[in-house]
Amino acid sequence: MDFELTDDQLELQRIARDVLDREAPASLARDIAEGSGSADELWATLTSLDWPALCLPEPVGGLGHGWVELAVLLEEMGRHVAPGPFAATVAQFVPAVRHAGTLDQQERFLAPVAAAGATGALAVDEGAGTWDLAQIRASATRDGDSFVLSGIKCFVVDGASAEEIAVVVRVDGGLRVVVVPGEAVAARELNPIDATTRHATIDLEGVRVGHDRLLVGSDSDDVVVRAVQEATVGVAASTLGACQRILDLNLDHARERQQFGVPIGSFQAVKHKLVDMYCLVERTRALVYFAALAFDSDDDRRAIATSMAKAGAGECQQRCVQDGLQLFGGIGYTWEHELQLFLRRAKVGELHFGSSSSHRRRIARCAMSAP
Amino acid sequence: MRLGYDEKTEAFRDQFVAWLEANLPDPLLTAERPTSSAGVPEWARQFQRQMFDDGWLSPAYPSKLGGRSADLFEQMVYLEELGRRHVTRSFNPQGLGIVSASIVSFGNDEQIERWAVPIMRAEKTAALGMSEPGAGSDLAALATRAVLDGDHFVVNGQKVWTSGAHDADVLLVFVRTDPEAPKHKGISALIVETDTPGLDRRPFPDLGGPDHVDFNEVFFDDVLVPSTNLVGDLNDGWRICNGALAHERAMLWVMWSQSLDNMLDDALAELNGTSHADDDVVLDRLGRSIMDSHAIRLLGHRQLAKQQRGLVPAEQSILKLMGSEAQQDLAALILETLGAAALDQAVDSTLRFPYENDRGAVSWSDRYLFTFAGTISGGTSEIQRNIVAERVLGLPRG
Ligand SMILES: Cc1cc2nc3c(=O)[nH]c(=O)nc-3n(C[C@H](O)[C@H](O)[C@H](O)COP(=O)(O)OP(=O)(O)OC[C@H]3O[C@@H](n4cnc5c(N)ncnc54)[C@H](O)[C@@H]3O)c2cc1C
Repeated sequence: MDFELTDDQLELQRIARDVLDREAPASLARDIAEGSGSADELWATLTSLDWPALCLPEPVGGLGHGWVELAVLLEEMGRHVAPGPFAATVAQFVPAVRHAGTLDQQERFLAPVAAAGATGALAVDEGAGTWDLAQIRASATRDGDSFVLSGIKCFVVDGASAEEIAVVVRVDGGLRVVVVPGEAVAARELNPIDATTRHATIDLEGVRVGHDRLLVGSDSDDVVVRAVQEATVGVAASTLGACQRILDLNLDHARERQQFGVPIGSFQAVKHKLVDMYCLVERTRALVYFAALAFDSDDDRRAIATSMAKAGAGECQQRCVQDGLQLFGGIGYTWEHELQLFLRRAKVGELHFGSSSSHRRRIARCAMSAP
Repeated sequence: MRLGYDEKTEAFRDQFVAWLEANLPDPLLTAERPTSSAGVPEWARQFQRQMFDDGWLSPAYPSKLGGRSADLFEQMVYLEELGRRHVTRSFNPQGLGIVSASIVSFGNDEQIERWAVPIMRAEKTAALGMSEPGAGSDLAALATRAVLDGDHFVVNGQKVWTSGAHDADVLLVFVRTDPEAPKHKGISALIVETDTPGLDRRPFPDLGGPDHVDFNEVFFDDVLVPSTNLVGDLNDGWRICNGALAHERAMLWVMWSQSLDNMLDDALAELNGTSHADDDVVLDRLGRSIMDSHAIRLLGHRQLAKQQRGLVPAEQSILKLMGSEAQQDLAALILETLGAAALDQAVDSTLRFPYENDRGAVSWSDRYLFTFAGTISGGTSEIQRNIVAERVLGLPRG
């Protein structure tokens, strides 16, 4: 195996970093958290730079890049605590439509994303907070030319703002995806931990959509499983980026901040914490890109790779948030310092698409059942 | 980025597999076990020699040194095939991995001919004399003295923890040749034959039990060592010291990765079908060990890929740290999970892996204790953290 980014992928990373350094400074996230900012301009810029199209398939107007490239972008978004609809649209809505939709349906729902940055979301969990597909009860029932939905969906990223929402429902017992216009559902925004990652509860009760909004590219539950796997790894990639930034901020601080006449980074108690953060960041990066590669290669280790990426990111954020805040001392405990923005982005990733612990148990069960 | 290898690499793998299948010794002949890390049984010596002669012992080397100038990916699939079959290349790991490798890198042609090749062909075995009672983590504080007197060095002092010294033919010994110079600048490396008068080896048992004798104290009392046994330049030994530890470091992670995978296989076999396999707390912790095993392999592959591109990767400094601690965590988990049942483990003495120094038969409590060899030897975990902090993260020295 060749487990390093290619020159083209490194170039993409460099460009993405430059763009976000310029267009998504931490002050933007802060303005949003303080109620005075908006992500619209950033999204318009990214759309003009073809970001939404980058990892979409060519037939719908995309540029055909794979999951590794997407992970590069998501990691950079996390590293910049960049706000906006990119992650939910490209790593959550798109995989659902791509895997569950017919070619026509993909064209219908994805071409606007590629061409004009139409936004999307993915609705799975119904309140348990486990993203466990076995627990899905929401349903779509055929009524003449349309489907009538019932149930509620919880913790939907961008659920109150996305133009289209891919909703996982049961139809005759099987798992299906129905694409619902955002304006057709009643959405209630939740308290944001991280102002740049918004969640909503959406009420599907009685919502009626055209029958052609039920994705019928496949009648297997596997396509839904696959879409949720991709969404899960997307969250892990963004968490990884936030953790990398927390580590970078800490390294700078440890070299610059002096106490007792020396930089605090010369104290071993400080050093060893930073090394442990570094090891976890590298471990997580390895696991995230392994999952991305597994998607790109349709490798049958996708399920375990997904859980390892998500649990890895969760363990990493726990250490980085805990020690990363501790090592900043009082200045880290202020609203003004930018550290808190990244801490929040790192933390929020743990809360959706399954906790570290639930994913670790899945990993162990996977390994136990393998021959 | 790619999951598989290219065709050239796979062809190399096929070639090696064919060789292995034709040349692995009859498992019935492998009953004789190594006595220490330099006490190698005859069948294993013959097999190692065959590997050398056929260019499969150290594939990265040119053919006259037992290799075939393999690139990094080829070395990787080679190690994968050995690992998959539980085949150990050499039961004298310090000899092959450190002593002969240091002579090849830093010695002259005559020294290569005289010691490195015989060690690689398992005609001689070797041990590594670095640590002293007063110089462990602070290796550069070593005090064993060598004074050049005509065409000989006169060596006086003591080494300790010298694995396998009592069974070894030669030692690579680090000595102080300039006591006036700053401590890193007065060290030299000597090859010392163990039958030299004045050299006294006193083996003693390690944590494995009263019969598990690998450690030695080695005393030097006016030992005369020919000046031609100096490896590298006088007072340039620190470079060799670092080189010796760095040796095969590019590939050393594979050992960590494979031994963790092996322990994990055993752990899964131990728990599968028991009530522990349904215990959420056990599954949670086991999940972490499984992640460790994947992450270490993946980070190793990333290191390889970077080296293949001519970069100097930072991964190698964290792989030993992560690998040794991951094993310790896993062994502790299994021991804790088994609870009192660990007291009643049937110790099966049949040889599971005839081509490996098999420790599968030992109890989980011993396996747990053995993991400390990993977190202590070759630079303790604390020292590794210091190194990563200073050299990789650029933090100021304390
Ligand atoms: C199984 C095994 C095989 C070995 N084989 C060999 C061999 O073949 N040849 C050979 O030469 N040696 C060998 N050694 C010795 C090994 O290299 C040393 O034990 C090791 O370097 C540590 O040195 P020490 O034992 O003196 O511990 P010390 O250096 O005394 O360390 C004691 C504790 O203090 C900590 N410590 C020390 N300095 C620092 C610091 N600066 N910062 C933070 N913490 C610190 C250490 O991490 C450790 O926890 C072997 C050891 C083992 C366990």
